[in-house]
Amino acid sequence: MLIADFTRLPLLGGRHDPDLETCALKELVVESYRFRQLIWALALKELKLRYKRSVLGFLWALLNPALMMLVLTVVFSTIMRFGIPHYAIFLLSVLLPWTFFSQSLSYAVESIVSNGELIKKVKVPKLVFPVAAVVSNIINLLLSFIPLALLVGAMRHPFYPTWFYLPIPMLALIIFTLGMTFFFAAANVYYRDVAHIVQVVLSAWFYFTPIIYAVDMIPPNRQWLFKLNPIIYVINGFRLAVYYGQLPKWPSVAASFICAFVALFIGFGIFRKYQDEFVFYV
Amino acid sequence: MSDPHLSGNSAVIRLENVTQRFRVIHDRPDTLRALLTTFLRHRVSYHDFDAVKNVSLEVPQGQMLGLIGSNGSGKSTLLKIIAGVYRPTAGRVRVEGSVAPLIELGAGFHHELTGRENILLNGLLMGYSKEEMREREQSIIDFAEIGDFIDAPIKQYSSGMHTRLAFAVATEVDPQVLILDEILAVGDDAFQQKCFARIQNFRQAGKTILFVSHSMQTVIEFCDRAVLLEQGSVVADGDPTEVAGVYHTLLSARLHPLVHAGAE
Repeated sequence: MLIADFTRLPLLGGRHDPDLETCALKELVVESYRFRQLIWALALKELKLRYKRSVLGFLWALLNPALMMLVLTVVFSTIMRFGIPHYAIFLLSVLLPWTFFSQSLSYAVESIVSNGELIKKVKVPKLVFPVAAVVSNIINLLLSFIPLALLVGAMRHPFYPTWFYLPIPMLALIIFTLGMTFFFAAANVYYRDVAHIVQVVLSAWFYFTPIIYAVDMIPPNRQWLFKLNPIIYVINGFRLAVYYGQLPKWPSVAASFICAFVALFIGFGIFRKYQDEFVFYV
Repeated sequence: MSDPHLSGNSAVIRLENVTQRFRVIHDRPDTLRALLTTFLRHRVSYHDFDAVKNVSLEVPQGQMLGLIGSNGSGKSTLLKIIAGVYRPTAGRVRVEGSVAPLIELGAGFHHELTGRENILLNGLLMGYSKEEMREREQSIIDFAEIGDFIDAPIKQYSSGMHTRLAFAVATEVDPQVLILDEILAVGDDAFQQKCFARIQNFRQAGKTILFVSHSMQTVIEFCDRAVLLEQGSVVADGDPTEVAGVYHTLLSARLHPLVHAGAE
């Protein structure tokens, strides 16, 4: 097996691309924009392959969350009663964004490795693969809000004007997801265990995040522990807007964006540092 | 892409002392468990080798350069460095203008997608826009002689159709530098003729072509210049007939070492 040398020979200049001498975040935005058509095509390819050979095809993107909602509604309104009114909406308002997060991560963690043959043969910016994986899941996330809106209507839960606030937590969530995605996609190139670890981390993370339960169900002496969970702030924004019809307080919004950008800086920083080596490990 | 050193110089590709070093790890730990084991044993066994050693090469505009050498001599590594797939361990690389960055034709093809979808995806991977690809789509389909199959997933294509489509996509997009790595071995005679006709058109249009082949006859017939690589270094560079001669001597020396030793 061939891999690159880490202790490089003294670089006699190497290939010096002045375009790359910019800051990481600017590079991410510029490159994503420059390759937007490729990212979009890769995202569509991903969706197309996911629903390939199924009779209903793309409809599954709508049907999947709709059927899940039906099951949850039946289970929580007849079998397991939590004493939370309209529990299905309470749950789904944050379960849908969580599903976006966990699915993006599960798909994207493999995105570099599974495109290895391509990376070995074509000069292409590596970031397009994780970004495309997230983009394809953004499409799914947006579609899944259609059945949620139908459910809100069917259960006669009020449609709060705070629905219009949703793009804000969505933005924070997408930035946070991208950051995590870059980190794990890069790590998985070096150690394939990462893809498995991600699955375990995601299921543990799910239970440590107030998704099936409410924040105030956490014992007061443990609240501080949950405040360390970086995704709790953005998740909270979704539930407040859809279920409670409230806007989150500004420190919570600020915290959600700080967590998102910290994740993106670290995640993309690491990804960018190692991206030229990927070709030797995939 | 402008470089003060290159102004007034017609070299499209310039490599200066390029080295590509690979570390061959014997049984690389690619799981954490294996990593832990090697870590505990304080031992990682590996050796380094230079797939390309201190190569300097200039290819002027419009030249068709044949790269020859036995398997493992570094031809493909060199092409990958020029195409930008590898960042060399040391040395300087300058490539002016657009390179068709495909090392193997059809590298970007996905077998579940249709021919049409693959044309677009491949074009986007090479850095062209959707609009540019839409414009060229019909001539690609015509050249590749795919016909009605264009809207079928390419897993249903014959290998000939696959290659024809790949060649058509790679050459229809009009790159400044074209890299052809062992591709003309496939396809029937009629299509090969078409390919060579297209390559001739490229030459007439003043494009630079890098051509890897094991067929000395083809290299001699088509190339302006040949470079012989041996264990990562350039051992001969010049007239294709002469370089091919050197290569044959090298090969026969390796095959019949005793005969040669006796002759000397």
